Amino acid sequence: MKLLDADKLADLAATLVAAGYRVVAPLRDAQGAVRLQVWSPGAAIDAAAIPANSAKEFLFPSTETIGRWSLDGGDFAPEPVRPAAPRTVLLAVRPCDVAGLAILDAVFSGDCRDAFYSARREATTIVALACSTADAECFCTSVGGAPDSAAGADAVLRPADGGRRFVLEPVTEKGAAVLKAAGATLAEGQAALDTSAEVPERFDAPAVAEWLGSNLPDRQAGFESPLWQDLGLACLGCGACTHVCPTCHCFDLQDEATRRQAVRLRNWDSCALALFTAHASGHNPRPTQVERWRQRVMHKFRYFQERFGSLACTGCGRCGRLCPAGVTMRATCAEIARAASLLRRSSRSGCEGRKADAK
Amino acid sequence: MDLTDALRADAAAVLRDGRARLVIGYRAGEDRPASPHPGWATPRQSRAPAFVSDPARVDVLVYDASCRQNLAAYLKKPEVRARAPVAVVAPPAVMRSLVLLAAESQVTDALVVLLAVGEGVYHGVLDIAQTAALLREKYADLAPAADLVRRIEELSRMTAEERAAFWSAEFARCTRCYACRAACPMCYCTRCIVEKNVPQWISTAAAAHGNYAWNVVRAFHLAGRCTLCGACEAACPQDIPLMLLNATAAEEVAREFGVHPGYDPAEKPLIGSFEADDKCDFIK
Amino acid sequence: MAQAKTQNAEATGAFEPRLVAFVCTWCTYAGADLAGTSRLSYAPNVRIIKLPCTGRIDPLFILKAFEGGADGVLVSGCYPGDCHYTSGNLHARRRWAIFRRLLEFTGIDSRRLYFSWVSAAEGRKFADLINEITALVRAAGPFEPASPARRRPWT
Repeated sequence: MKLLDADKLADLAATLVAAGYRVVAPLRDAQGAVRLQVWSPGAAIDAAAIPANSAKEFLFPSTETIGRWSLDGGDFAPEPVRPAAPRTVLLAVRPCDVAGLAILDAVFSGDCRDAFYSARREATTIVALACSTADAECFCTSVGGAPDSAAGADAVLRPADGGRRFVLEPVTEKGAAVLKAAGATLAEGQAALDTSAEVPERFDAPAVAEWLGSNLPDRQAGFESPLWQDLGLACLGCGACTHVCPTCHCFDLQDEATRRQAVRLRNWDSCALALFTAHASGHNPRPTQVERWRQRVMHKFRYFQERFGSLACTGCGRCGRLCPAGVTMRATCAEIARAASLLRRSSRSGCEGRKADAK
Repeated sequence: MDLTDALRADAAAVLRDGRARLVIGYRAGEDRPASPHPGWATPRQSRAPAFVSDPARVDVLVYDASCRQNLAAYLKKPEVRARAPVAVVAPPAVMRSLVLLAAESQVTDALVVLLAVGEGVYHGVLDIAQTAALLREKYADLAPAADLVRRIEELSRMTAEERAAFWSAEFARCTRCYACRAACPMCYCTRCIVEKNVPQWISTAAAAHGNYAWNVVRAFHLAGRCTLCGACEAACPQDIPLMLLNATAAEEVAREFGVHPGYDPAEKPLIGSFEADDKCDFIK
Repeated sequence: MAQAKTQNAEATGAFEPRLVAFVCTWCTYAGADLAGTSRLSYAPNVRIIKLPCTGRIDPLFILKAFEGGADGVLVSGCYPGDCHYTSGNLHARRRWAIFRRLLEFTGIDSRRLYFSWVSAAEGRKFADLINEITALVRAAGPFEPASPARRRPWT
């Protein structure tokens, strides 16, 4: 086994930097908040805390130039724009974040290949960190993930010996290359893997997906259900959940120009914002937060599955941790699952000719 | 009767007798896990909001020190206004926001009634005028946290270059999620300045000059209208110390114009009015 | 404006500040005009933008000027009581006090932002003011490209 002392993550980062990688790791700042950031010598790596941001910004940045034109001297000449894609190791990212990248891959590297995302994706090696702690907002196990999953990773750091060490396990060739580059920072030896974090199931995701897609008469479930009136009430309509979500990928194209240069920018957008679906005519098909929250849930738990075959939520829980109004995908899905089970119970009883039990 | 019982009793009463069709308050129940953010002037986490329209369900309502979200922000939402009259559980910050919204003609007594609360005390069911009177009587000395004042003074003693470097680093984290705007009861424009693109006054890219313009212009648009409730800073997923900006503007406004917003539903808007003796010592 | 350089700068290579002045039509612009017709010399570093009234000046104009390359900004209009639109300058006065404080607090040196009242009869005052401000901004140096307010080239 290749072993790394738990307090030597910074040494590993330094070695990888010396080998030519850019290293992104969970860093603790002066105020005590932990975020995935580009590591530089002296920065403190904190693998124990769940970082506030996801890894997506290192593959899909919050703003990016995707086109450039020179307007100098009356000309209108396109200039080449090459995506910045330094060789990068995403170090100690949680399995839920890694799973998020698979969703982004489907969108940006699927039937339509985005040159910018793909260049960065190819240049990136993912070293996951298996979770030995989780909190009440985590719900990876409800959406097909697991705190110790290596799915999508190139290598995995597994906590061992009571948190004193990591076992670094290669999964792909890219991961093996990182182990090789790590060289002497890794020791050879044996260690006992720690038990993984426990993340109890919070809701029945298949039941949620079924309820979302159902077409029952009298609006008992699905798109037309009156339940959305309550589910969307607390949402204030900002983009915080969207920006921290590892799978959200909507963007806005903006052109900016001076007299000498024009650029086309790709900026993060959010379907939670009021003007996201505003038409030039003034009509807005999602006029209130009720429709907008419904869309977020439907997209992640129904539409994306229909198109790409997987849920577009990895249960990382960031939306819940960071929402200023206490709204969480976890609680919304739990509500829907409750409504779904009530429906099943009443329809079963109906078949048997009896009234449904009151909940 | 203790605070919670009195609050719940009145919430049920206003729903029953039609003074309200919806009660917005704070929800008892599961504690939210420790936020990844320690927060700056305002601790980040708050009890989540509760929306009650059935008098039998008022037992979900509580009020304690962890109830920090500014519920007045919900009065912006058309789907909430459609359920008028709305009763709002209102600690002093929310009381001030609602009085200020009334001064700006955004809420009226027909739309909102307050279930006024303070630290460990329940003040009863109040209309806007009564709320303003209560604020002037009992909560007139609301001042920004000492720590905030100290940090503003520290920054003010630095050179302009040092301050530019400080704010450069802080604004670099802004991703333009607009949580600050959404959480603020006074940011109620249906089309915000940043959403106007003929011309595009403020770059929407999360780059230096756009982030600077956004945060400074928002602070400016709130000058004289900010009650320092801290909702913006608590909402920011990137821990940007927005209260430093708002408190600086608020301090200038208080010192130069004697304005303390949110205590008088008939107060004149700061930027929309003027006095003959307004400060002009800086004008050449 | 980025290409504009004064003869001085080309000759000596020294830093020449670029100033933007937002002025009202009826007082300060007329005053500047008077400076011109009186053949009063003032520093050529300033670009004058004429608006109907200082009340029309959104603080965003000041920000855009700094964003776009200005090293210093002047905002100037009628004296209180003389506004062609009665009270536009009185509204502006409050905005300036607050915005000035915010800009200073966020790192835009107060040596770069000036406000003044210049009447239509004060050609001399306008010329002296521009000379004074140009010297002050020259002493303050170029507005840092690293300032968060300055638009940097898109990479």
